[in-house]
Amino acid sequence: MGRDVSPKVDPSAVMEHETYELEGVDISGHWNRMFEQRVIFDYDVAQLDRVTDLAGGESMGWCYQCSQCIGVCPVDHVGDYGPRKIFRKLQVGMDFFQSDDLWLCTTCGNCLRVCPKEVDMLKIMPAARKEAVLEGHVPAELQDVFEKTARYGNPLGKNPKRRVAWTKGLDVEVPIIADLDRKVDVLWWVSDYPSYHPRGMEASRSLARVLTKLGIDFAILGAEERHDGDSMLRAGEEGLFEMLAEQNIETLNKYEFDVLLTTDPHAFNAFLHEYPQRGGTYNVMHYSRFLADRIDDLGLSEEVLGTVTFHDPCYLGRQNGEYDAPRDLIEALPGAEFVEMWRNKENGYCCGGGGGGMWLDGKAAEHQTMRLSEKRVIEAVETGADTLCVVCPYEVSRFEDAVKSTNNDGALEVRDISELLAAAMGLPTD
Amino acid sequence: MPSNRVVVIGAGPTGLEAARLAAELGSPVTLIEKKDVPGGMPIHADYAALTHHFRDASEAMAEMIDAVTSNDLIDIRTGTEVTAVDGEAGAFTVGLAANGSSESVDAGAIILATGFQHFDPGRETQQYQYYELPDVVTIADAEKMIKSGSFVTPSTGKTPERVAFIQCVGSRDRQIGNEYCSKVCCGISSKQAIEIRQMVPDARVFIFYIDMRMYGYWENEIYWPAQEEHKVNYIKGIITEILPKGGRLVVRGEDTTMGRPMEVEMDVVILAVGMEPSEGTTAMSGILNLPTNKYGFVETAHDILDTVTTTVPGIFAAGAAVGPADLDDSIASAGAAAAKAVSLIRSAGVPV
Repeated sequence: MGRDVSPKVDPSAVMEHETYELEGVDISGHWNRMFEQRVIFDYDVAQLDRVTDLAGGESMGWCYQCSQCIGVCPVDHVGDYGPRKIFRKLQVGMDFFQSDDLWLCTTCGNCLRVCPKEVDMLKIMPAARKEAVLEGHVPAELQDVFEKTARYGNPLGKNPKRRVAWTKGLDVEVPIIADLDRKVDVLWWVSDYPSYHPRGMEASRSLARVLTKLGIDFAILGAEERHDGDSMLRAGEEGLFEMLAEQNIETLNKYEFDVLLTTDPHAFNAFLHEYPQRGGTYNVMHYSRFLADRIDDLGLSEEVLGTVTFHDPCYLGRQNGEYDAPRDLIEALPGAEFVEMWRNKENGYCCGGGGGGMWLDGKAAEHQTMRLSEKRVIEAVETGADTLCVVCPYEVSRFEDAVKSTNNDGALEVRDISELLAAAMGLPTD
Repeated sequence: MPSNRVVVIGAGPTGLEAARLAAELGSPVTLIEKKDVPGGMPIHADYAALTHHFRDASEAMAEMIDAVTSNDLIDIRTGTEVTAVDGEAGAFTVGLAANGSSESVDAGAIILATGFQHFDPGRETQQYQYYELPDVVTIADAEKMIKSGSFVTPSTGKTPERVAFIQCVGSRDRQIGNEYCSKVCCGISSKQAIEIRQMVPDARVFIFYIDMRMYGYWENEIYWPAQEEHKVNYIKGIITEILPKGGRLVVRGEDTTMGRPMEVEMDVVILAVGMEPSEGTTAMSGILNLPTNKYGFVETAHDILDTVTTTVPGIFAAGAAVGPADLDDSIASAGAAAAKAVSLIRSAGVPV
């Protein structure tokens, strides 16, 4: 009997794999390309046309391969990704609408910042994902969040009535605007994670105490608040966004207030750029700016010892230009030393939560050596800081998970700026 | 004999412009053209639209020719060759031959505007089988087809589905001996790609390149519209070989930014051939005793600060006789040569 020389691998079935196991052996890495068909036999540019024909997808065809995007793409730092590569894959015939490449982008916008041709992934991704959503090609984990959001008004699938649970037993009063039956100076749009997530709730309690100490006339919507929809729009569920925006505008238009105060930079972005064209125009402020404008009234007297570094949320910083407010607040903390991370401000590294990334960790894990939040936490630890300050509710949980998974438990604490300010004001922070 | 006359050799765009300007400055001009009609390469090679503004080449050249023929100071001699030049700056004697008869003309200054010729890809770059495969053509061949209003696969006469350009054919090549960049081929290929997409909207057009050299406004006026509006596909990596297969052409090379070999079928492959000194430039540099560089283009005396003065006093060279040049360059250097020629005659004391 001769030895069995039949192929172990069916060449037609084996394509390029970023991770691959063959007969129990992990052969992940570029060298496994020896098993794939390498030769390009066709340029089926019809696939590129399908993207550039979309309203919003036009600029996908403008790439001239300078590759500046790849240098700053947060996903490429932990994987093999970016606009330049997507463009080429489309020219070679990739079906974007059924590809995982459609879901790895966090719409952090750093590629657009450096792109000489203005290839705009912030428009391309929502447009292409919308097509995939219509075709029914949505990762299950994201589909689940779409359905929860449609049903419950929040991506966590929590009971809307429990939105105010975080205010129970709080030492300060957090009025519901419907109960007040009057105009308020500030309507606080709390958002989902600060209402439902344990660590978000702690930050909300701190912010409520800070606002109260400042003597701000504020209220919240309570059970009437819904998800702002911004991340649903970036993730391709335009219909869901439109529904949420319509409901939220209807709710907001019932009440009188001067300032719409948002905890979440994504909600801030939606109220600033998406809601006005749909009939909802508000004087929207992110809480970091609102507090920074009142820095002298905060009464920051207690020492917050330690070294603090800061993570710029993409939708506060790069997308909307607010870099100073959080930094001014941190610098004002008595006793604290502020250190910047290597990548900051315009070049801030994405936490991975934007553009639907918050609910695509499973898909990302198939293609990335680590989560973006883990990469960022490692950068934070490298500064020597013992505290990572955040001003986006997506980040507290993402970074706390990352602190644990990168074995930095005890080395780095993740704190919302509200918590640091409350401590410096001598207020409780639980 | 001292003369205030300027003799311009070559009636392409450069020669026409030099003659027109020298006459406008007051000098009588004899414009000599070996071919029976003036207009140079745009006319003799049937250019369709000019790079970069897409102006109709025949119309633009007719305008240049009219400006010369309508000027009484300009004596235009077509079908005429320069056989000898004697004398010195301010007092040259230029020997002419036409239809078997010869004469001589006195000139105070001479402007050489004998231009370039297209690189012949059958001569050196045999890997592309230009002589063997009818559907492998050059940008000069493609320009003729575009001007004719019908862009087809030459072997079948049918509308092509896929057209590929290969850049840098006969340029930037130590083995061939043309180490220089021919400057215009990237722009002309992109211009033709736009025209092909307009003429044959269903055809896919690919440009395989080493680097796209779209300097100045060619970037935004040609390259970007070609890609963004006309959906021309630019792929980095030069085709190594063209193989006939099943009535089509298979182009083989590497798609460098994908890091993968590529082997794709095309209907027509267009070779973006570069520039070489024309026969006229070679012949005239000999007759005028003008030094040439290692590529055969006329050398100017003062490098980048004076692109038209040669090492022989009283003789100027302009346009692609000096090296690869686009139309803008050629027209500009024609102006410089005309001004310097007339200036030399005036400073020699010959009344103009």
